Amino acid sequence: MTTASAGAGAVQAQVPGGPAPDLRDAAARAGRSDRAKSEARLGWLLAGPAFVVMLAVTLYPIIQAFIDSLYHYRLTAPEDKRWAGLSNYIVVLSDPVFLQALLVTLFITVVTVVIELFFGFALALVMHRAIKSLRGLLRTAILVPYGIITVVSAFAWFYAFDINSGYINHWFNWVPGISEDLNWFASQGTSLFVIICSEVWKTTPFISLLLLAGLSQVPTELEEAAEVDGATWWQRLTRVVLPNMKAAIMVAVLFRALDAFRIFDNVFIMTNGANGTEVLSLLAYRTSIGRLEIGLGSAISVILFLCVILICFVAIKLFKVDLAGGSRGAS
Amino acid sequence: MKQLSTRAKWAWAFITIVVIVYALLPVLSIFATSFKLPSQLNLGTFWPKTWTWTNYEEILSPNGSAQTLFLSSLRNSVGICLIATAIAVVLATLAAYAIARLDFPGKRIVLLTALGVSVFPVVSIVTPLFNLWRQIGLYDTWLGLIIPYLSLTLPISIWTLAAFFRQIPWELEQAAQVDGATTWQAFRKAIVPLAAPGVFTTALIAFFIAWNDFVYGISLTSTDAARPVPAALAFFTGASQFEEPTGSISAAAIIVTIPVVILVLLFQRQIVSGLTQGAVKG
Amino acid sequence: MRRRSRALALVVGFAVAAPLAACASEGSGPPTLTWYINPDDGGQATIAKQCTESSGGAYSLEVSVLPRDASAQREQLARRLAASDSSIDIMSLDPPFIPEMAEPGFLAPVPDDVAEKVTQNVVAGALAGAKWHDKLVTVPFWANTQLLWYRKSVATAAGLDPAKTPVTWDQIITAAKDQGKYLGVQGTKAESLTVWINALIASGGGEIIQNPEAPAEDIKLGLDSPAGKAAATIMGTIGRDGTGGPALPTEDEGGSLSIFQGDKGSFMVNWPFVWSATKAGVEDGTFPQSLLDDFGWALYPRVDAAQETAPPYGGINLGVGAFSKHVDLAYQAAECIVTPEHQAQYFATNGNPPSNTTSYDDPAVKEAFPMADVIRQSLELAVPRPQTPYYNEVSSGLQQTWHPPSSVKPETTPKESNDLITAVLRGEQLL
Repeated sequence: MTTASAGAGAVQAQVPGGPAPDLRDAAARAGRSDRAKSEARLGWLLAGPAFVVMLAVTLYPIIQAFIDSLYHYRLTAPEDKRWAGLSNYIVVLSDPVFLQALLVTLFITVVTVVIELFFGFALALVMHRAIKSLRGLLRTAILVPYGIITVVSAFAWFYAFDINSGYINHWFNWVPGISEDLNWFASQGTSLFVIICSEVWKTTPFISLLLLAGLSQVPTELEEAAEVDGATWWQRLTRVVLPNMKAAIMVAVLFRALDAFRIFDNVFIMTNGANGTEVLSLLAYRTSIGRLEIGLGSAISVILFLCVILICFVAIKLFKVDLAGGSRGAS
Repeated sequence: MKQLSTRAKWAWAFITIVVIVYALLPVLSIFATSFKLPSQLNLGTFWPKTWTWTNYEEILSPNGSAQTLFLSSLRNSVGICLIATAIAVVLATLAAYAIARLDFPGKRIVLLTALGVSVFPVVSIVTPLFNLWRQIGLYDTWLGLIIPYLSLTLPISIWTLAAFFRQIPWELEQAAQVDGATTWQAFRKAIVPLAAPGVFTTALIAFFIAWNDFVYGISLTSTDAARPVPAALAFFTGASQFEEPTGSISAAAIIVTIPVVILVLLFQRQIVSGLTQGAVKG
Repeated sequence: MRRRSRALALVVGFAVAAPLAACASEGSGPPTLTWYINPDDGGQATIAKQCTESSGGAYSLEVSVLPRDASAQREQLARRLAASDSSIDIMSLDPPFIPEMAEPGFLAPVPDDVAEKVTQNVVAGALAGAKWHDKLVTVPFWANTQLLWYRKSVATAAGLDPAKTPVTWDQIITAAKDQGKYLGVQGTKAESLTVWINALIASGGGEIIQNPEAPAEDIKLGLDSPAGKAAATIMGTIGRDGTGGPALPTEDEGGSLSIFQGDKGSFMVNWPFVWSATKAGVEDGTFPQSLLDDFGWALYPRVDAAQETAPPYGGINLGVGAFSKHVDLAYQAAECIVTPEHQAQYFATNGNPPSNTTSYDDPAVKEAFPMADVIRQSLELAVPRPQTPYYNEVSSGLQQTWHPPSSVKPETTPKESNDLITAVLRGEQLL
């Protein structure tokens, strides 16, 4: 979950807010550059500390990680530290363990985002349409998973499905394939199923709130006009509502995808990577923090970082295309 | 407003129940587990057969085996998250004010940096931080967690606050000044009351995010000195090291979930508006 | 709103002040020693209190708890020691991780007089586990071993009497299968799986590492051997024919116990905690007394009927941090912790068996653990897991290749794990 909420504002990244009107008026021709200069100075004075802190807590570590990744460096044998060039990267990239973790991470990302998009949209619709007296109740309920610690969610789902302490097998033993003897955490598919359940439960509220914001942006007149024209509910949804909230959907998908790509807590608690459920974050953690192989671990960290950049890049490229397409459709 | 038909009423009742079950079932499940006797954990029932406070005693009473572990982690979590939230909100307020009110080159860069930081993979940062922290003595300290927590709380705070601040009618300030108030008075009387709810909401959201952290918590601490709650949950133990600490973990999970539920109950409107603010036209 | 923010400021103020106040109290009074302990039922904390009192003001011993999982304990300690942490005075160490700590000099050398005192009457396995390069580097504290636990009713029905005649794995597998019961073994992907593998290979007369003291690149593994194949045969059989039950791939010590206590319980290899845990269940009314009466115990099963068994060896030794400011006091405290009286008290209250043989004569021990003599006998036979600074890699490599148990095949698994661990040790592959 972490920081993805920043995505709520991302729609505006496309169109950053212009200067406040009063300031624009005040920018008289005479002394304009002085004024602009002092404003720029004040602006940086105010925004500077936050900017510097953000860079310091991310840029510095990732550069350090890149440097460390070029060495053979094990923390319990510090005197053996030696130059490795790119060999750590070669070891990582050519290893089936890495490939497997990458595929599992991608699988979890795609599946959770798709499920959450549908499920989150339904929740957003419910919240959007709910009668006043229910709105508070529904919002409160939906915010509970949002506020809960991911580790707690992981334990809740783990204990519910666990073959010893769980009750799911008792509840659902009428479903073909589920019996008292089903050990959910003994094979890849079933383990991933529970991991994805916990992830979806915890993060759907967030995506639904982003979509709710998008829904409230759809002009009601358009919808009403369509209704008057005799459009069915489904037609209104697909022809009016969805095209008008394309931007909100893309933002929600991008942020959830990047968030899901970093999945760690649920896997760590439930399987710790057993049965082919290892994800990239866990692999990086186990290598550098667990085995104290700083060099190899840093290489995985850098690769993970590059993956995120790549996803961002691809998404933003697609995003722009979509935005243009969306506006063309609307005009 | 048109009257709801009976069918619509039933439909809404049904939908509401489904949503509530979805949201609360896992919480209820761990709540039930937290009242089970350690020897009755494996009966396979949802509710406990015998209700017991044993698990809560383990983590709260002075002779409980996990008491020091849990209470110190609770203190750490509350303290570290509050400080990280406070710093983030102060820095973000300044930055968001500048973004909302001033026109300066690089404004876009600040916003995009915030965006970039918020999608940064935490695990990528943790190894170098761990290595640096142990060299400069920040490993296993409050400050050693507060600093990385800023990478979680600051970007979201900037975005949320900037969105809030854009909605504030800043003309009020000028109006007050025209009415004879000093700049400070005008700011305090006209702007602070409008900005405060946004700042408070931002603080809430930032706190939730810091409170949720696990990776930094397990990687950058190793004792009661700084270990936060999510990391401590992985350290619990049953009566011996081989017995599952299921009960104590569930009890601790419930205790750390209570404040979340209370905050959500009290401030659901603010949290929802805070989270959706940025996307609604500012 | 304003009141709220004042309350917030108060909380922040308190939160900041609390740790500062804690710091301020240091400095006066005797030096505080920190003892990093593995989680238990409060026994180590009690001993710490007793030693603080009996030290006459020389030191004040405080405990700090490590994670539950053995490899996570190692992770925490190694991380801190690599940071030259001076706050680690004493630590409870799982024996397999001792070489990794000793090799880079993270452990303060044991003074000769202390070494002499703490090695008297100590069981062989514990003594071997406390050494690295033939030098004592830690103080033996408690020693653990697994026994074969069986339901007397099931054993009788199968015509076995493990307490009288040693049984083999094949016998208990057949007995469990014939009666439709489950065998209690630890098949989860964790350290307990390595414990099982090591015991199987050692019982078959083999060893996982042939030259444990060699540098990483030169380590020779003994997995691809007749003993390795015999071990893989046993584990694969239990995994594939369902004798382990559906929980096997995620089954840890606690999981084994709960199966053993249930209707499907038959035979189980496990640590002595199972006895005190079941007794507690009988006391709170969860289990009938008849369940406890049905418990039998014997030495760990044999791989080959003609060869003595090699049960798992576990336990905890005390290491003193090389960067501690009070090494002398720490060793003084360690000596106090491991006295036979404390070991006996720890066994009786927390179920962790002493490494000192004289503690077994304590009446409280006999009372709490009727099987104390079998435990002592098992400790004399127990074989430790390989002692190498690269133990973590070896153990993780084994867990990677020997899990789940149903996938273990004598023709391929031992060779696969041999190759994987070798490649990892040479830095050619990830884990």
